[in-house]
Amino acid sequence: MSLLEVDKVSLHFGGVLALSEVCFQVEKGEIFALIGPNGAGKTSMLNCISGLYAPSSGSIRFRGEELLGLPPHKRAAKGIARAFQNIELFKHMTVLENLMLGRHVRMRSGLLAGGLYWGKAAREEAEHREAVEEIIDFLEIQAIRHKPVGTLSYGLQKRVEVGRALALSPELLLLDEPMAGMNSEEKEDMARFIIDIHEERDVTIILIEHDMGVVMELSHHIAVLDFGRCIGFGTPDEIQSNPRVIEAYLGQAESEEVGSSA
Amino acid sequence: MRSPFVSECGEFCTSYRADMALYKIPRIRYRVYGVLFLFLMLPWFVSEYATSLATLCAIASIGAIGLNILTGFTGQISIGVGAFLGVGGYTSAVLTTTWGLSFWIALPLAGLVTALVGALFGIPSLRLKGLYLAMATLAAQVIILYTINHWDGLTGGTGGMILARPTLGGFSFDSEMSYYYLTLTILVGAFIFTSNLFRTRTGRAFIAVRDRDLAAEVMGINLFRYKVLAFAISSFFVGLAGALMGHYTMVISPEHFDIGVSIEYLAMILIGGLGSVVGSIFGAVFITLLPVVLRELIDIVTVYLPQATEHFGALRQMIFGAIVIVFLIYEPEGLAKMWRNFKDSCKLWPFSY
Repeated sequence: MSLLEVDKVSLHFGGVLALSEVCFQVEKGEIFALIGPNGAGKTSMLNCISGLYAPSSGSIRFRGEELLGLPPHKRAAKGIARAFQNIELFKHMTVLENLMLGRHVRMRSGLLAGGLYWGKAAREEAEHREAVEEIIDFLEIQAIRHKPVGTLSYGLQKRVEVGRALALSPELLLLDEPMAGMNSEEKEDMARFIIDIHEERDVTIILIEHDMGVVMELSHHIAVLDFGRCIGFGTPDEIQSNPRVIEAYLGQAESEEVGSSA
Repeated sequence: MRSPFVSECGEFCTSYRADMALYKIPRIRYRVYGVLFLFLMLPWFVSEYATSLATLCAIASIGAIGLNILTGFTGQISIGVGAFLGVGGYTSAVLTTTWGLSFWIALPLAGLVTALVGALFGIPSLRLKGLYLAMATLAAQVIILYTINHWDGLTGGTGGMILARPTLGGFSFDSEMSYYYLTLTILVGAFIFTSNLFRTRTGRAFIAVRDRDLAAEVMGINLFRYKVLAFAISSFFVGLAGALMGHYTMVISPEHFDIGVSIEYLAMILIGGLGSVVGSIFGAVFITLLPVVLRELIDIVTVYLPQATEHFGALRQMIFGAIVIVFLIYEPEGLAKMWRNFKDSCKLWPFSY
């Protein structure tokens, strides 16, 4: 059984078909890449997995359990974490608080216990602080721990966002263009973090990325979307030699198209 | 011995527990105890009139902390505070006067009933945001006031109700000083509770809902639950404030809880600082004392302009509005931010960097 099975998922917005019968499987412990041209439906697919969109048909199973119909917060509790494409951090909170919020589903104390701050709640805060500090060390963001994230640079915010998702101790991590808008140095750092997350923390990762070099090098399996359809699924080598994928990215090499554009 | 006037050059905590304390640096902790001590001594050194003003400030502070939890920290605008104060006040009045319960039971019950009513009117917040939610809470204000006005059998209608000062054993809280201590104790409790709340799990979830509700949901926060919870805990404190106010003035009637009161409370947290517990207190004190100070000023001006007194009401409203606007433009983060800036500049003084 695969960790995540996406089976014939279709998504409509009014009359627009955003996803049409998309199928793929993500195995436990792999880095899985979702690629495709702009507007192909990659982010929509992630939104279906994390529960922000409700597909009109199909099924998404996580560890064999159906996800569709569950609200987003219950999916997070099952161990699915997400870093967004456009940074969606809590701007007025510090880095530490953002990461502590990532621990939300792993913590128990309620409103009364928190307000009174007695034994158990205080102990729990300290315990989870330890887990968060581990992630802070891991992502090398010790120096900015107490800074409000709104004041940080773009690259660092992206890193904090990955950290917040990681704080959830996820089994499946959805990364939506974690390297978008970064310079090559920052990209290298992020690629290293992704590999480390995968190897040291035993997290299965679904990655959306436009940098083909990164995708081909990092991922074990790739699914290619184009206009909401899954046009290719396989290992990086298979994808690179798939004629439909080449066509979607580079266009058709036919005389009539050349003729019509002239 | 270290000089008490030298600042620390950093925080040197050796445990996460110590690093998560409300006041990490011992010197600042002592300063807080000092301020508390000053407030405890206050009624011994000032007139009864000043003590009564301080009591009013403390009651308003409790309500403002409540509203700030909802509007400042969780981002849900509410213009129904006036009515929620009324729910607290009338609950306590009915429980003590009609049913003959003790004040000490009626006070928490007033808070709980208001929390329940608040949660009920918080239910639309799942679907409504911003201005739309404001309209929904305005509806709460109108519905609750209408109910109070027309349920003569329970609330005495427009005539209002009479309340008594609380007693404990043989002691009655009749004097200004004793009631001041009562409200101060509850204010300190509310302050500590709220400060704790926002350094733990539930409070962080509230702030997350305010900053980015979408991301909060994906991080595992049940939006509906936390929004309703914010309405409930906020209304609890507002209800307490309403009950305390009722037992202080010893008479309540619907006009004490009209929309003007709601606006005043919103002004308190705006001027004090949204999302700041200590800011709520600053704002509450500011708005409570503003008419008093204006009155004094008018009295001075009346010597030269005898007709000034006639226009006091209008003048008060105008200055009130002008101050809110000035704050919105020049210091949207309110008095709390000004206080932080002041502390920061003290830390650096006499250097400018």
